[in-house]
Amino acid sequence: MARYIARRLVSSLVVLFLVSVFTFLIFQVIPNGSPALRIAGRGASPATLAAVVKEWGFNQPLYVQYADMMEKIFTGSVVSYSGNINVLGQLRAGLPATVSLAVGASVIWLSGAIVIGVISSRRIGGTVDRLMGVLASVSISVPVYVIGAVALYFLAYKVSIFPNGGYVPISQSFFGWLDHMILPWLCLSVGFIGLYSRVLRSSIIETEGEDFVRTAKAKGLTKRRILVHHVLRTSMIPIISLWGLDFAGVIGGGAILIETLFNLQGVGQYAAESIGLLDIPPIMVIVMYGTFFVVLLTTAVDILHAFAEPRVRLQV
Amino acid sequence: MGETVNTRIMKSTRAGALAVAAAILLAACGGGSSSSSAGSGSGSGGGTATVDLVSSPGTLDPGLAYTAQSQDADWLVYTGLLTYAHANGTAGSQVIPGLATGMPVITNGGKTYTLTLRSGLKYSNGKPVQVGDFAYAIERDIKLNWGGVSFLTTTIAGAADYQSGKASSISGIVSDPSTNQITINLISDYGPFDNVLAFTAAGLVPTGTPMTDQISNPPVGVGPYMFENVVSNSSFELVRTPGFASFHLPGVPLGHVDVSVSTESNPLIAAENVLQNKVDAFDPSSPIPATLLSSIKSTASSRFETIPTPWTFYFWMNTTIAPFDNKNARIAVSEAVDRTALERLSSGFLSPGCNFIPPGVVGHQDGNCVNQTNGPDVAKAKALVASSGLTGAPVTVWGFNTSPRSAYVQYYASVLNSIGFNASVKLTAPAIYGSTIGDAATKAQTGDGDWLQDFPNPVDFYIPLSAASINPTHNINYSYVDDPVIEKATAALDQVPTSQLTTVAQQWASLDTYVNTQAYEFVYGYAQLSKFLSNRIDFATAIFSPIYLNDYSSWQLTS
Repeated sequence: MARYIARRLVSSLVVLFLVSVFTFLIFQVIPNGSPALRIAGRGASPATLAAVVKEWGFNQPLYVQYADMMEKIFTGSVVSYSGNINVLGQLRAGLPATVSLAVGASVIWLSGAIVIGVISSRRIGGTVDRLMGVLASVSISVPVYVIGAVALYFLAYKVSIFPNGGYVPISQSFFGWLDHMILPWLCLSVGFIGLYSRVLRSSIIETEGEDFVRTAKAKGLTKRRILVHHVLRTSMIPIISLWGLDFAGVIGGGAILIETLFNLQGVGQYAAESIGLLDIPPIMVIVMYGTFFVVLLTTAVDILHAFAEPRVRLQV
Repeated sequence: MGETVNTRIMKSTRAGALAVAAAILLAACGGGSSSSSAGSGSGSGGGTATVDLVSSPGTLDPGLAYTAQSQDADWLVYTGLLTYAHANGTAGSQVIPGLATGMPVITNGGKTYTLTLRSGLKYSNGKPVQVGDFAYAIERDIKLNWGGVSFLTTTIAGAADYQSGKASSISGIVSDPSTNQITINLISDYGPFDNVLAFTAAGLVPTGTPMTDQISNPPVGVGPYMFENVVSNSSFELVRTPGFASFHLPGVPLGHVDVSVSTESNPLIAAENVLQNKVDAFDPSSPIPATLLSSIKSTASSRFETIPTPWTFYFWMNTTIAPFDNKNARIAVSEAVDRTALERLSSGFLSPGCNFIPPGVVGHQDGNCVNQTNGPDVAKAKALVASSGLTGAPVTVWGFNTSPRSAYVQYYASVLNSIGFNASVKLTAPAIYGSTIGDAATKAQTGDGDWLQDFPNPVDFYIPLSAASINPTHNINYSYVDDPVIEKATAALDQVPTSQLTTVAQQWASLDTYVNTQAYEFVYGYAQLSKFLSNRIDFATAIFSPIYLNDYSSWQLTS
């Protein structure tokens, strides 16, 4: 197991390195304008432009610029081209909102999916199952920004049940924080609930055909005990794997649309703004940070699987 | 085995649930950002007003601040030797003494500016202002590479040497503590130097302020307001400076309310918040979404107004490559494009016009369009293109990929096609537009452009028409205008001090007419920005500065 974990950690570092290199190269290849011109300002004199180029090292070879940026990222001194703002400081400022969104929404979508998935699997082919299936399809199909925009318009603007966007730190007001987070949580969760509930339903149906479930039935265990202690535990494995990836994605700035729509000022919104400005340093940092979380949680889930399933260890 | 594994998962899940709950609490305890809560009327003195900025302000440090949002605030915190009058319309473009006792005495053929610093001034932290602080502030702007630094390094003697590291101080600025006099020697006479001195970046900061971006804790300044509770690039509060009234600066108001500024990047939500009086002011730099405009006009017309701003919008035509190296092609464009069509596309945030110098700036003339004396004439333009042998000439039209500018370009391309060209559109992100078309290698033929003033002086509006602005990699003279008539006229007019601008208004107007006859650009209008306030603010007395837009120091609460 130790060897397995070591291999996973090494491969994680390789992934992080490759992602950072590819991200850096992509933004060198695509036409993104000269950052020196943006920093120097409109109508900069040649002397000013030369001073900026020298100060920022834009005249250095690409590999030197890459190494310089990595050094700045790991020493925390990397600043954005637009506004000259410390990127890690911005990331730290946005993290509480993003973590609040990710954790709260993931609890909702996991709970909702389990309830709906179990109910659907108990009534296969029945009206409830069909209705749940239709609702799941709708929730997966409708883009999250449409759900968010409609919810904001009716529930925040027209009826004013919820605040019209914004984020309040819990340290400032617990109820203010809760009030501002409920709508983003629900909007972000809708699609995930639809997807997870369908996966869980299929997984439960498949597990119920396994030998150990038949044995449990033959032993005379109650339906409830078989479902909770045998079927659901096994069926949850793919859900947990899926959850790990999606949770990491949201933490890593993946909830760009919801954060922007609700003005949560989180990492995702910062990513969206940086992409709009083609500002490479924040994009680099956010991509690496997102990759780190995805790799970290994937590794954690894989290790969990390795403990749970010896065949996983043998295959690696 | 499966039982054991599942138990581990369940334990892990339970532990995870606890961790989740803890994580929510811990994470959420960190720094937050904006909230859309309504402004409180129970702040100190006259209460607190709230503002939602649609774009993040960036740094508030005067040595780096160059966004509209940050400079609006810095104007009230960092008063310079000179500043701008707190007034609506053209009156708001007037440069007035700030921390100086009067306007500069200009000698040596316009190359020496002498000002006297008022005595007894103190920063908001109580530290006395020193006469040498001005030179230090300018040196700091240069060290930090402030966005307008070229206005300093190309005008003040010794500033370029300081920038390149050849000098340890700016030789052209001499401070005399015994008389409180500051003497600034210029490289050559530069009429708009009063405007340069009125930049917020020329506001005084204490000598010794770190030569690094103070984004989280902006330097102290001398002004009616001071910063508090600054969250980098997100929110801040403007609080009235205790004791500022004792300085008795004529024309610099003390302010009536404190102001809490946060960022709401969704313009629709920001506008809705003001419409519902949850927030007191909408960010004027951002257009109000068209979907909400009719609601605002019907239900909040008494607290909404669009105000012309010195910001010129035009289609540029590259005079060095085909087809616009042919004057007839340019005149054909000038005859065919319908400015009212573009006004409609702007949802009312564009005021049609044809002269490069915009309203509110000396030299502007209403109407007097050289071409289109009877409105757009597509047939005449088409005939002109045909007679010049340019029918079917390929043209690439460059523009922004954001609305409504993308729609302007689509319309412009359709007009070019209707008069005989073979036009196609190329849209780019605003962040890279200037550097893309400003690169000679792009060989950009025509496209959309705009010029927002650095300062309210016609000299500034002729920068994009100056031969000196042509550069192979960072050109801002997109039409590549290199006209001896313009060069000669501006060389003379550039020397006229800001205080005497009105004496040469007619010369500037004549020059604008000449540019129109050459059809170097097709000016289609000027920006109209929104003054949109809640019903808590007295709309009539709230000043909308042509330079800094919402003048927070003029706001008074109605209740």
